[in-house]
Amino acid sequence: MSKKRSRNIFIAICVSPAVILFTLFMVLPTIEVFRMSLYNWGGFSKTKEFVGFNNFKLLWNDMNFIQSFQNSVLLIVLVAIITIIFAVFFAAVLTKEKVVGGNFFRVIFYIPNILSIVVIAGIFSAVYDAKSGLLNSVFGVLKLDTFKQMWLGNQDIIIYSIAGALIWQAIGYYMVMYMSSMASIPESYYEAASLEGAGKFKQFTSITLPLIWNNIRTTLTFYIISTINLSFLLVKAMTGGGPDGSTEVFLSYMYSQAYGNSTYGYGMAIGVVVFTFSFALAAIVSRITKRDVLEY
Amino acid sequence: MKMKKYLLALSLGLILVLAACGGSSDDSKKDDGDKDSSSGDKEVTLHLAALESAYGADVWKNIIKAYEGINENVTVDLTIAKNLEEVIRPEMQAGNYPDIFMLATSREEALTETLIKENGVENLSDVLTMTVPGEEVQVQDKLLDGFTDTLATNPYDDGEMYLAPMFYSPTGLFYNAALFEEKGWEVPTTWDEMWELGEKADKEGIALFTYPIAGYFDTLIGSLLYASGGPELFTSAMTYEEGAWQTDEAKRVLETVEKLSEYTHPNTVANANPNDFTKNQQLVLDNEALFMPNGSWVVDEMKEAPRADGFEWGMTAVPAFEEGGDQYAFTFFEQIWIPKEAENIDAAKEFISFLYSDEASDIFLEAGAVQPIEGNVDKLDEQKKLFYGIYEEGALPAMGTFASTDPVPGASISDELYGKVDSIMSGKLTVEGWQKAIQEVSDKLRPAMK
Repeated sequence: MSKKRSRNIFIAICVSPAVILFTLFMVLPTIEVFRMSLYNWGGFSKTKEFVGFNNFKLLWNDMNFIQSFQNSVLLIVLVAIITIIFAVFFAAVLTKEKVVGGNFFRVIFYIPNILSIVVIAGIFSAVYDAKSGLLNSVFGVLKLDTFKQMWLGNQDIIIYSIAGALIWQAIGYYMVMYMSSMASIPESYYEAASLEGAGKFKQFTSITLPLIWNNIRTTLTFYIISTINLSFLLVKAMTGGGPDGSTEVFLSYMYSQAYGNSTYGYGMAIGVVVFTFSFALAAIVSRITKRDVLEY
Repeated sequence: MKMKKYLLALSLGLILVLAACGGSSDDSKKDDGDKDSSSGDKEVTLHLAALESAYGADVWKNIIKAYEGINENVTVDLTIAKNLEEVIRPEMQAGNYPDIFMLATSREEALTETLIKENGVENLSDVLTMTVPGEEVQVQDKLLDGFTDTLATNPYDDGEMYLAPMFYSPTGLFYNAALFEEKGWEVPTTWDEMWELGEKADKEGIALFTYPIAGYFDTLIGSLLYASGGPELFTSAMTYEEGAWQTDEAKRVLETVEKLSEYTHPNTVANANPNDFTKNQQLVLDNEALFMPNGSWVVDEMKEAPRADGFEWGMTAVPAFEEGGDQYAFTFFEQIWIPKEAENIDAAKEFISFLYSDEASDIFLEAGAVQPIEGNVDKLDEQKKLFYGIYEEGALPAMGTFASTDPVPGASISDELYGKVDSIMSGKLTVEGWQKAIQEVSDKLRPAMK
């Protein structure tokens, strides 16, 4: 047996457990979802009717689906942009400035990430409560009664209330990620820059941001995936998709169609759209944010 | 070379482990197969899947003990959970069906409806003529009239019973009886009186109406349809008849809901979600709202909640449209049923017939679960008698649900008819828009009816 051949066998044996597990638990189920989306099926019976792309045609005209899609996209965009601004800002302040109790803040910011999403739903229904909620009470004390809102009742703003909760829980996690890459930027760059007369803001845009860019790019994909998943959990626990579908996101709509409406095949068609959409969005985002990696 | 052999052995071992994992479901199936038998003298293991509801988990354990006492050949395995659908669904998809389901319709996960739509429910008509074990009467002689000929038990509207009525609760408008006494107000019997009361209450800073979540309108709109156009209107709406929602009687129902929105407590919609619905129920306990549509379970649900001094639960039927018109109180039921794929269908039917025995119904009553059995109401405590006695005070019983259809993607009648109530309340939707949405979804469902 030649050395090369035995090496290849060795590699194949080493990789095979992972490959087998991956195929069994990731690839096959995904293919199954794609296959099921072509059928009319309730989920239990042995009669599956092949309908081709009919489920997708119906989706195209389903206003409820389109509303839930809009809500999801809005949440992804809002949560990603606002979280990134806050997280980068706080990370920069905590690593670069000598803040009293910096470590304490780091822990405080990270806490929401440890909480279960159901707890977060509980916290925010208390914050948004119409009568005794934190938000309305604060506005009441400040005599800003015009700002008082039915945060979970007004169909025009409830989706922003959901976004608020998602942003609150996300900031800490991303802040810690940005902090770790900021901490590894050599201090000498900043010293040199300040000798040249660059202010704090210039230092941030010219040194910090380019050097953590790769990290930010990676987190953009995380924003997409986590917002899709967490918005479903939060909506399930907090609003149940209501009032009248105004907080329905596409995964919650998929769930209600696959189970509540006994149209499992249709639900899987929604799953296929969500899968393709998140894949494509992540690819596009990753593509347009591509820059040469700066090394130091 | 030695190293390579170890690696080979290791990877073979891994593959074996994987194969073992994959094979486990087959093994368990084989086990069940050995016990495959119907009833009679052979040993049977029945698998009962029950929803853990307000009645608690012990009630089913007591029932099983009682049944195993009179039928020694039967052992009953119980799966009881608050999220029963999530627990049982994977097992069913693997082909292991329970023999009996105590799981009602109108649940969010709609497992029961799915099985109905897929023709996966066993016909239980013959249970009605079975003799109750340990007694000399047939099941049908014990059941109250009218409980076995509605769409809630005969989903295909063909005279055959697929879901046996198990527990029932009258629903209606719940209020604080002490508050009415204190203010000297009469409980309204017509909608005109209702609006008058709304004005009076408004002056005192009390809202006329609130509701837990929009889904509770299933009983209220049901009663309204009955009151407005009689059973004919209700049936035509439930069977998606063409033009049913265009009739004046149906429109009157929708307009009544819209008018209610003027008198609804402003916080209601914000709390009308699965997390906060008890806050809406609390409004009634705190004398901030007068009426809410609910069922007799609310008393236990809010047992621990603080309340206004002297609070006393009251329940009234839904008001009539005219002076002296019919008033209805919708009956909510929970059904028990057998999936077609069950292995021990005959033994399961025997078990169900036992559930209507005096012995079983006493166990249920102790846990607060009331079956539609003759004479059960007399055994209730005073508070419950007040609710269950509503039909003796002139209210007519309303029962039923939507006719079953084949699954239609994207078309959910309850989302359009009940879910849209939130939008009516917030003023986002007009009656015309609502009517159109209901009509459109009815049009989609009509051809899919079984």
